[in-house]
Amino acid sequence: MRKFTLFLALIFFIGMQVVQAQTSTVTGTVTNAEDGSTIPGVSVVVKGTTFGTTTDLQGKYTLNVPPDAQALKFSFVGMKTTERAIAGQKVINVAMEPEVTAIEGVVVTALGITREKKSLGYATQELGGDELNQVKRDNFISNLSGKAAGVQVKSNNNMGGSANIIIRGNSSITGSNQALIVVDGVPVSNDNTNNSGQITGRAGYDYGNAASDIDPNNIESMNVLKGAAATALYGSRAANGVILITTKKGQKTTGAARILGVSITSNVTTGFIDKSTFPAYQKEYGAGYGPYYSSEEYPGLDQGEIFGDPNGLIVPTYEDASMGEKFDPALLVYQYDAFYPASPNYKKKTPYVFGGGNDGAIDFFETPWSFTNNIDITGGGEVSTFRLSYTNTDQTGIMPNSSLKKNNFLFNGTYDLLDNLKVTASANYVNTKGKGRNSTGYSDNILSSFRQWYQVNVDMEMQKELYDLTNRNLSWNPKGPDNFQPNYWDNPYWVRYQNYQNDNRDRLIAYTQVDWDITDHFSLMGRAAMDVYDELQEERKAIGSVSGEIGVGRTEATSGYSRYSRKFRETNFDLIAKYNRYLTEELSLNALLGTNIRRTSIDRVFASTEGGLTLPNLYSLSNSANPMLPPEESYQEIGVNGIFAGVSLGYADLVYMDATIRRDESSTLPENERDYYYPAVSGSFLFSNLMENATWMQLGKIRLGYAEVGNDAPWGSTMDTYTNMGLYGTAALFSVPSTKANENLKPERTKSIEAGLEMVFFQNRLGFDFSYYKNNSVDQIIPVSVSFATGYSGKYVNAGEIQNQGIELTMRGTPVVNSDFRWDATLNFARNRNEVISLDEGLENLQIGALQGGVTINARVGEPYGTIQGTDFVYDDNGNKVVSSSGHFRKSATSDKIIGNITPDWNLGFNNAFSYKNWSMSFLIDWQQGGSIFSLDQWYGMATGLYEETVFTNDLGNGSRDPIVGEVQNEDLTYSYDATSGGFINEGVVNIGTEEAPNYIPNTKRVAGNNYAAFGYATSPNSRYVFDATYIKLREVVLTYRLPKSTLANTPFQGASFSLVGSNLWIISKDLKHADPEASQSSGNVQGWQSGVMPSTRNVGLTVSLQF
Amino acid sequence: MKKIILAFIVLIGFSTSCTKDFNEYNVDKKNPVEVPSQMLVANAQKALADQVASTNVNLNVWKLFTQYWTETTYTDEANYDIINRNIAQLAFRTYYRNILRDLDEARMIIEKEETLTPEEEASKTNRLQIIELVSVYCYNRLVDTFGNVPYTEALNIDDITPAYDDAATIYNDLISRAQAAVAAIQDGESFGNYDLYFNGDVSMWRKFGNSLLIKMGITISKVNWAKSKEVIEAAYAGPLFAMGELAQLQYLGGSNSNPLYQDMVQSGRDDFVIANTLVDVMNGLNDPRRPAYMDFAPDTNVYIGGPYGENNPFTQYSHVAQRIQEPTYAITLIDYTETQFYLAEAALRGAAVGTADEHYTNAVTSSFDYWMVEGAADYLAANPLPAENWQEVLSTQAWIAYYVRGQVSFTSWRRLGYPAFNMPPRPPESANNAIPRRFTYPVNEQTLNKDNYFQAVEAIGGNDFLSTRIFWDVQ
Repeated sequence: MRKFTLFLALIFFIGMQVVQAQTSTVTGTVTNAEDGSTIPGVSVVVKGTTFGTTTDLQGKYTLNVPPDAQALKFSFVGMKTTERAIAGQKVINVAMEPEVTAIEGVVVTALGITREKKSLGYATQELGGDELNQVKRDNFISNLSGKAAGVQVKSNNNMGGSANIIIRGNSSITGSNQALIVVDGVPVSNDNTNNSGQITGRAGYDYGNAASDIDPNNIESMNVLKGAAATALYGSRAANGVILITTKKGQKTTGAARILGVSITSNVTTGFIDKSTFPAYQKEYGAGYGPYYSSEEYPGLDQGEIFGDPNGLIVPTYEDASMGEKFDPALLVYQYDAFYPASPNYKKKTPYVFGGGNDGAIDFFETPWSFTNNIDITGGGEVSTFRLSYTNTDQTGIMPNSSLKKNNFLFNGTYDLLDNLKVTASANYVNTKGKGRNSTGYSDNILSSFRQWYQVNVDMEMQKELYDLTNRNLSWNPKGPDNFQPNYWDNPYWVRYQNYQNDNRDRLIAYTQVDWDITDHFSLMGRAAMDVYDELQEERKAIGSVSGEIGVGRTEATSGYSRYSRKFRETNFDLIAKYNRYLTEELSLNALLGTNIRRTSIDRVFASTEGGLTLPNLYSLSNSANPMLPPEESYQEIGVNGIFAGVSLGYADLVYMDATIRRDESSTLPENERDYYYPAVSGSFLFSNLMENATWMQLGKIRLGYAEVGNDAPWGSTMDTYTNMGLYGTAALFSVPSTKANENLKPERTKSIEAGLEMVFFQNRLGFDFSYYKNNSVDQIIPVSVSFATGYSGKYVNAGEIQNQGIELTMRGTPVVNSDFRWDATLNFARNRNEVISLDEGLENLQIGALQGGVTINARVGEPYGTIQGTDFVYDDNGNKVVSSSGHFRKSATSDKIIGNITPDWNLGFNNAFSYKNWSMSFLIDWQQGGSIFSLDQWYGMATGLYEETVFTNDLGNGSRDPIVGEVQNEDLTYSYDATSGGFINEGVVNIGTEEAPNYIPNTKRVAGNNYAAFGYATSPNSRYVFDATYIKLREVVLTYRLPKSTLANTPFQGASFSLVGSNLWIISKDLKHADPEASQSSGNVQGWQSGVMPSTRNVGLTVSLQF
Repeated sequence: MKKIILAFIVLIGFSTSCTKDFNEYNVDKKNPVEVPSQMLVANAQKALADQVASTNVNLNVWKLFTQYWTETTYTDEANYDIINRNIAQLAFRTYYRNILRDLDEARMIIEKEETLTPEEEASKTNRLQIIELVSVYCYNRLVDTFGNVPYTEALNIDDITPAYDDAATIYNDLISRAQAAVAAIQDGESFGNYDLYFNGDVSMWRKFGNSLLIKMGITISKVNWAKSKEVIEAAYAGPLFAMGELAQLQYLGGSNSNPLYQDMVQSGRDDFVIANTLVDVMNGLNDPRRPAYMDFAPDTNVYIGGPYGENNPFTQYSHVAQRIQEPTYAITLIDYTETQFYLAEAALRGAAVGTADEHYTNAVTSSFDYWMVEGAADYLAANPLPAENWQEVLSTQAWIAYYVRGQVSFTSWRRLGYPAFNMPPRPPESANNAIPRRFTYPVNEQTLNKDNYFQAVEAIGGNDFLSTRIFWDVQ
């Protein structure tokens, strides 16, 4: 925060430089009385005149003072203004005291307008760049988790994967709910280019969201605009909240001194798998789906003539479950590694035991490394500033052959053409190269094998050895001893080294801006900005792989290549006129009038080979085995023209009133429904200024606001086009679209009220900011699902309403502070209550996504957004689970039972920072309470017998997978068994009466524990594998040592620090076993479902930072 | 100062007026807003054949329900679980959205055509009749699958909750439509090479229509014999398919491969083996078509079927014959064999359509021909059609001859009842411990079209069960 105000102060006071008369010179250094550090940017003015300067980067100033000057006045935001008599002194050093009353400084609000925070009638929350930059993660959005109340961040563990960022709940049913990100006034695309199949858990890769291109090293500060009143000036893209980022800039220096600020920061981070987020396997039974293979003695194994052994026992290698034969080191069997001539175990029988020592498939993962190096050069002259920053990130993931490389160059500069005319230019080039991202979802994803379909007898070391020896797809899952074709799963090393994807994104975010202070009261700002990127995503499958979906049409093929290229262009032209003046001594007026012209275009081509590749190792479209399917092409252009105006009135630092209005015309809407108005009013009342005697209170402020914002229609939703279905011979095939367009759409509208109370006590030692809000989003643009009998699957309508209401509380405290030690604590708490009030007339439920396992994510009237629906247990009147006559749990007949909800009850972040002399330490605890997850991993993985829960000792003291012995049905319809019987009894009741007149008795029927689906899948309702998504995580720990100035005195360094940084070190509590509750396939509206998710890593890093 | 303000106002004025190009922004530059009708028809024909052919467990499970095949490791569908994968919903989607909607769109486009010459008028008429016949074929399959379905209110996006029509009433209407279409077809042009079944040959469409009429006629024979007889006798007047004639989609390979190739070969999966039901019957008859239908069980020289619905290791049982899995294997929609079996049955039930023996002989001979198997005469000699209690022989022979044509076979089996099917070991509760007689309605009809769904359930007897019999399926 201090750096931020410092920066702003610089900008402000720079304007005050004036031509100076030739007189005597005073020099000096301004320091902070609290810690002795120097303060750059302090305004130094000869009292009673306009002669003045500002301190430089080292806090030094040089000022020519007229002969009659009496005193110097030093002022700086956040510090008490100090006066010193000159009295002939040539050197005047000043230690400034922090000011305790004016704790609220200036903040950047919508459209980059700086405002005094106390004048705002809506909630914002600022974060300093340091808070976002200490921990190096793939995506800076992940670093926001727990740091701002009302901002819900969900990061998955995909390398370079996307992070979900939602402010104050989901307000759009099917549109994007991701916050808008604005850097230095320029909206930055945060698109997630993952295709709909990937997002709904089919095959694919998580390519991340585009905002991950923002380099946290460049962030000076960030301000979160949460509510509509704050964001209304952004009009039709303001509904989801805005994250405003201000980047670091160079600083001006006076006189001949050219001071270059150079800093170098290096970080290395590594990680360790958190085993609580990976399956704990059972270690007693091997491959197979049940006891039905050809060996009579060992029904979990095949038996027959093999390698001259007439009665060899053969593992059913073609299966991908672990419901097979019991392990026994004395039992010698032919495993898959006996089949391959290249194998060291070729033709050898080996003991049938759990694979891979104690850890099983976890051996597959590698140690991830990440290296980040940044050099930052800033400088400036009397009329110009610049900053140059370069960051290089080189990262490897936990999957073999995975890497992510980023290069981020930023240059910005300002130049004062005239005293009142400044030009600014900024260019940020980012290149991101990914290779070997992990595949996601229910597909050929290796993790969906490890978590769902696997043989726990497999030893990953042997898979690696076989791949390394042969570079061939010698899988643990061959169809048989004489058919090496993998049945369901490739050798995972083959997948990683042959079937990897790669991607590249070249991006330029640039703007030029002119600021012209025409008079003291009237200024103009003009800006032209562009955000342009080209990306290419290439996916490949080598000849000899298991068949899987690839390419256009997602058809299955055993090899193939696809390329997806996307060009994104967005330009924004802004022109804003501002008028500021005191109308009377007490009454201030800020008015603005502006226009924004936005043009966006997205050009996409997705093309692929068809039916496989002709030549091996050649990944090009021309290598297609069959004629290619027509590439999927789209070209979307969107234009929005906005004009806006605003007036703010302030009275005597006591009452502030704001009113803004924006009119947007959006090209995505029908011609006669194109223009819309978004009004906002807000006010604040600083009651503390009426209570000057209350010295215990430094600030008391009440806020109130009302606003309407919107969301325009998705491109192409107003006009039908036909879909190309390819060629049949020479006949072109076309089909009507699945979703019927609507020529009468209007924008979604969010009507929002919010109220807040901010108070600060005890000389700024304690403060809080409390907000209440209620947002109603109406006229939702939704492709409602319709009966297929209409000939469509959906149609676009304007209908429905979602309400979000909630509270946010940020508390800050400084429990301890003395000259050496300081403890600051911040607590962020947010609770959002979401309700789908209505959908289209007569519609009670709208599906957001249909996922594997038969579960759906829905918006359902009367429920919070994101109900998870599927089959549930059947209960009797006393709440007992009903078991069917087969001994398995009964399932509801339909899949529309509400079995969970993706929305958490509340989120809490608790950050503590300690500093002692040159040491500082901080830690952040991040807590999400509630929300649910359906684990497809466990739904299938329990069915295939992978997890430790599937092997236990039953009520008779026998193994749950032992055979059932001596089943007898008694006269009272209960069952009895031999004392040696295996199997297990599902706890519940069974109906021995009729459907109409039920008679429930406790279930005594035993079911076999050694068959597929004994614990999951078909015999279990979906609700059995729905878990509470609650987690408490030790999210960040940072320990920093700054070398004291005295040590650095004889070195070229101005500053040096060393930090030990930890992230996700400890999941303190969670309900979901075997996985990280935050893990998901992608960002977006489809959450609350896990399949083949990555384990999480505990990350530890070291950062060295040097300033010259 | 004033100039500046003026300039600013002008700029803002400009920014709000330069929306002329907005209309152009909304134009899809990569997809057409108009297409010729035949491209929609060709797509519908392809989608229909794909659906008929498929053995994808998400789309078409009739080859399992008719116990030709059974599953290896994942046995849900063979055990009559159609809810786990929402098969009914996908079938609904395929028929209404992927096929009927495209046909209807083509109809609307064609109806707007202005014709200048008699040839153009004939072509227009023929094209509309072909669309009509394919539509009737689809609705016939829909009714035979579910019973009552949306019909009169279907295919209208302005009515998103279409009512379900009575199945018998739909049948009557389909029969009238097919009769009218056959009568209306004139000699002349139609869709040309966009007609993927007959290459635009309208004479074949007349035969298609009559065959379809015979099929619909025989299907209702047990509930309305008078109507059945009338329809069949009228259609018997022809023209009809001759020996070897049929409606089929000849797959081309590549991206237009037979779906069975995609499901069984390209997928690399070993999900299906031949069911013991088929193997046991054919072994019992020493049926010479076995090599065309299936392979020997691996490492043996005998045919072994996997016990229906059980877990069956792929390596232990007979596999589907190679020919059927070829990328270019043609899929039959309706054929001479089928028509002759229906006529034999109609003759036995008392229709004036020639002799049952003649049609039975034609049917079996045609089946042998289709499968390129010799020995039909000997086989017929060993398996004659009795005049009394003919159901078992006719039904069993039809069932064998309809191999891989699951839905046609299932409809025939429901009417005639042979051979006895095996009850799989682990049927879900939704199967009521009985062999299915229909599909349950799609789950999303319960949420999206609730009132009509419940009315339909009431109308078919109060229960939406797999075991619920549809109107023509009486004991």
